[in-house]
Amino acid sequence: MNWLPWAVAAWLLGIGLYGVVTSRNYVHLIGCLSVVQAATYVLLLGVGYRWNAVAPIFYDHPPGTPSVDPVVQALVLTDVVIGATVTALLLAMALQLHKNRETLDPQQLRPLRE
Amino acid sequence: MSLLPPLPVAGPLAVAGLLLALGHALPRRTPDVVALLAALAAGGVCVVMATQAAAHPIVYWFGGWAPRQGFPIGIGFVVGQAGAAFAAFIALLFAATIVFAWGYFDEVHAHFHVLMLLFMAGMIGFCLTHDLFNMFVWFEVQSIAGFALTGYQLRSSALEGALNFTVTNTIGAYLILAGIGLIYARVGVLDFSALQAGVARSPHDVVIDVSFALLSTGFLIKAAQVPFQFWLADAHAVAPSPVSVIFSGAMVALGIFGVTRLFWAVYAPAPEIQAVVRTLFLGMGTASAVVGGLMAISQRHLKRLLAFSTISHIGLLLIGFSLESREGLAGLFVYLAGHGLVKGAMFMVAGVLLAELASIDEIGLRGLGGQVWPAGVAMGLGGLLLAGMPLGLMGAGTDLLDAAAKAAGEEWVPFVVVFAAACTGGAVLRATGRIFLGLGPVAGEEKRAPTEDEQEKADRPLWVMLLPIVALLAIAIIGGGSGAAWASRMAVPFMQPDNQGVLGLAPFAAAPSSAPLHAPGTRLAWLSVALALGIAGFNLSRQLLPVGLPEIVDAMLKPVFAVVQKLHSGLIGDYIAWVAVGLAMFTIAFAWSG
Repeated sequence: MNWLPWAVAAWLLGIGLYGVVTSRNYVHLIGCLSVVQAATYVLLLGVGYRWNAVAPIFYDHPPGTPSVDPVVQALVLTDVVIGATVTALLLAMALQLHKNRETLDPQQLRPLRE
Repeated sequence: MSLLPPLPVAGPLAVAGLLLALGHALPRRTPDVVALLAALAAGGVCVVMATQAAAHPIVYWFGGWAPRQGFPIGIGFVVGQAGAAFAAFIALLFAATIVFAWGYFDEVHAHFHVLMLLFMAGMIGFCLTHDLFNMFVWFEVQSIAGFALTGYQLRSSALEGALNFTVTNTIGAYLILAGIGLIYARVGVLDFSALQAGVARSPHDVVIDVSFALLSTGFLIKAAQVPFQFWLADAHAVAPSPVSVIFSGAMVALGIFGVTRLFWAVYAPAPEIQAVVRTLFLGMGTASAVVGGLMAISQRHLKRLLAFSTISHIGLLLIGFSLESREGLAGLFVYLAGHGLVKGAMFMVAGVLLAELASIDEIGLRGLGGQVWPAGVAMGLGGLLLAGMPLGLMGAGTDLLDAAAKAAGEEWVPFVVVFAAACTGGAVLRATGRIFLGLGPVAGEEKRAPTEDEQEKADRPLWVMLLPIVALLAIAIIGGGSGAAWASRMAVPFMQPDNQGVLGLAPFAAAPSSAPLHAPGTRLAWLSVALALGIAGFNLSRQLLPVGLPEIVDAMLKPVFAVVQKLHSGLIGDYIAWVAVGLAMFTIAFAWSG
């Protein structure tokens, strides 16, 4: 079972990138970006997981009880905050762009060429 | 324990918070003054730390969580000379930019200044930290400030560029995070010194190799190196000019600094990673130098021209890193500072044109530069410096890079440097000649101006904008000799961090003695200046040349330019596909090196 989280993370990364590459709408594309990010959640939680261990809260456990790794959980929390910020910013920009251009298709919205 | 290290990060963050809370109540120019003072104060602290760190690095453990028996349990800032110096350089560039943008953004509370201070705090934290995850957090703080600043004006073109920039760089950030997860899975710590010990214990470990590939892909996306360079021109061309100054001068260089620091602080003991840096990164840097140069020549939008020139020059920095020697690293440091100052000044000149003449199109502006002629003098000088004139920081950096390449047996590298300098310098000189001297008429081309109306606010006197341009160019010119001497001293402790001292396992060893490097200049510098003048002259005097000659040259070069231009499609999907190609290149390089 040890390989399962790694395989899921790799799959999510691959399918998320595929979605970003082929997307024809920026809102959909931002959703695909969240899928890429979900790969990092799974990877980090998989790294820190210990079988037969408790959550890293020692309020009702004696110190020394085996627990899952609290460091990666802190990393995932930070990751969630960053992801939320970026998604909010991207959606706000997409909204403004839609107001100006009335489309969200990357094929039609090409930045400055030449 | 010194209390200085957190100050240049915490100070600007606190000031940013205060400005955000009080911005609407403050008198008009107050945010400018406050932000300028914050940048100068942060820079001052960094300069003090750079001098104090000469003997050994300054170590600061947050919350007093120092290592126990050599095992890191907290997060630390370990400030070496190079990190402090780069942080001071960043603060200097921000101070100059805030002066340049004086009153430019005062219509909306103080949001511009808040974002700029966040941007600066993130970058400085990135330079000083000694913890891999903390490094990622600062990287994201500065990234998000940069995303917001790009789309700040909410014009369509700016938003399109900002979206491409944000999506590409965010994918880079997630790759970095995945890389951090992998190396943590293998070594179980995040402190650089402890990580390096872990890497040294397990050579030829696939997990560590993959983590290096993911981390460096993320940083090279930020550094805009081939094949990850596509977002840069989209973002630089549409961001407000003061923001472009920071992007080209500091943010892109931060990506190179990140990967360089990571390699020497963590991954250097792994022989297969050394081999990949030596081959793949040398190739990527060379490709960036060439592609950036070719693209720069074929632009008429001045900010896009400068953006591609940045890709080219950052490619030279990557070459310096890939040589894995003290000369190469010293050359990287000096060239990084010189390029940042000169390119910052050039984007300020573009800002002057946008503010005073309401256009950025080289052909549309032909002969109109007369009323802002001092900007033309600065632009011509900047073009010569970019073209490799053996003067100041860029000249000293070129000499060191050339010497490093010779010592590493890569005799061809100096010619790549000449090519990049000639193309980018030639493009800037051509634009200078056309805009300020009225040379090179192009019949019927004015109508094809590539952009929407792009004027920037012009309510500040010209001399306020010229002052930071002159200051940056002056530092870039007079800093050459002392810059090279400092860089050669900084390079040694950067390459051999005193891990035992940092982790408290032993007292700090005395700083390794390091003689200043001797890098004699070559005649090649003048060759690249001559080539740049030739490129500019050819383009500006087409109508004087024998009939048919320009057409023949065009026909010969057309296929080359067409291919490179076609790749820069502006489609986010294509850019991300190239990221995947880059990851595949890492796989191949690791398979190759065993």
